[in-house]
Amino acid sequence: MSAPTKRHLPLLLGYNKSKAAIRGRGKKAELTLTSMIDMFTILVVFLLQSFSSEGQIVTLSDALTLPQSHSENPVKLKLEIQVNSMVIVVDGDPVVAVNQDLLSTGNSIPALVARLRAHMEYNRRVRGILTEEDMMINIQGDIAVPAILLQRVMSSCSEAGFMTQNLEVIKVEGGGNRS
Amino acid sequence: MAQAASGRSRRVRRAEELDMLPVMNLFCCMIPFLLLSASFLQVTIITMAQTEGISSSGSGTVANLARSEEDRLQPKVIMTDQEMFIGTVAGTAHVCFAGHEIINGVDAVTFDFDSLRRQATEVHRLLSQAYPQIEFHKVTILTVESTRYDNVVQAIDACAASGFDQPGLQVAPSAAVERATAAAMGR
Repeated sequence: MSAPTKRHLPLLLGYNKSKAAIRGRGKKAELTLTSMIDMFTILVVFLLQSFSSEGQIVTLSDALTLPQSHSENPVKLKLEIQVNSMVIVVDGDPVVAVNQDLLSTGNSIPALVARLRAHMEYNRRVRGILTEEDMMINIQGDIAVPAILLQRVMSSCSEAGFMTQNLEVIKVEGGGNRS
Repeated sequence: MAQAASGRSRRVRRAEELDMLPVMNLFCCMIPFLLLSASFLQVTIITMAQTEGISSSGSGTVANLARSEEDRLQPKVIMTDQEMFIGTVAGTAHVCFAGHEIINGVDAVTFDFDSLRRQATEVHRLLSQAYPQIEFHKVTILTVESTRYDNVVQAIDACAASGFDQPGLQVAPSAAVERATAAAMGR
């Protein structure tokens, strides 16, 4: 086959195009944005629903999985105890290592009580007077911890003067399944 | 203006098109902002009534159980490794037997919390009918040492759905709980 001459070249360029396409070459192409607008609207509505002006005021540890609950009481920023199967952490500091001895009795844990009392005493010195709000404490427990450990932690909180103990949970909606 | 012989204008009328670009721009600004400030995981709290310790011998259990008896009308949800009960001043009723489920590769004891919810609702109704002057909110979750935390929370949740929204926790040695429930059930 011989090479195309200059006269044939324009014809070859339009070889695969329909006549209608060649005729409408001068028209301006337009994007159909309707479907994208639909998708964005759904996305914006969903995000507006999960919008939180308060932000996340608690820090969840990677070392534990909180249980799920239908409770709707909002969490308040208080002193936090994190309990998992290995260690009890108060305000970010590991205080007690969890071992078999710790799980054998049901009384308060002396080291934990001392740490909590120190925190309470610090608050008393700084603020002069302790209100009911200062006597609240949040407990983050891993789903797998045994009840005896939770009970010992709560017992220690009571002994140290933290009268109100809040268990932190992950909220599930209405008929939501727990996973 | 040129008109057709029929007198009708031949000019083609085109529908006005909405300019969606400003809407797109707005959405493009809103979506990253909302994504950053959205919280997909909401942490809430369950406020517990105070708890007190027990000794390994179970002596504290007796004191705790006795103290619970002072508040005679307060129901108790009792969870052992084998069974779940709900107890009131009128007696103790079986709720369900424990099941087993593999959670994160670990064989864990679970219960039928829907049954607990139904029975707790019935208990709340009966108590409210019998003592209309009292508002019933308190409930005690009495468990053995090994009960998993998520079972405790689910029991609290089931009770809260039934109207008992002020939970307390008591933990007792298995032997003491099983002895007490066996006596209550007349076994």
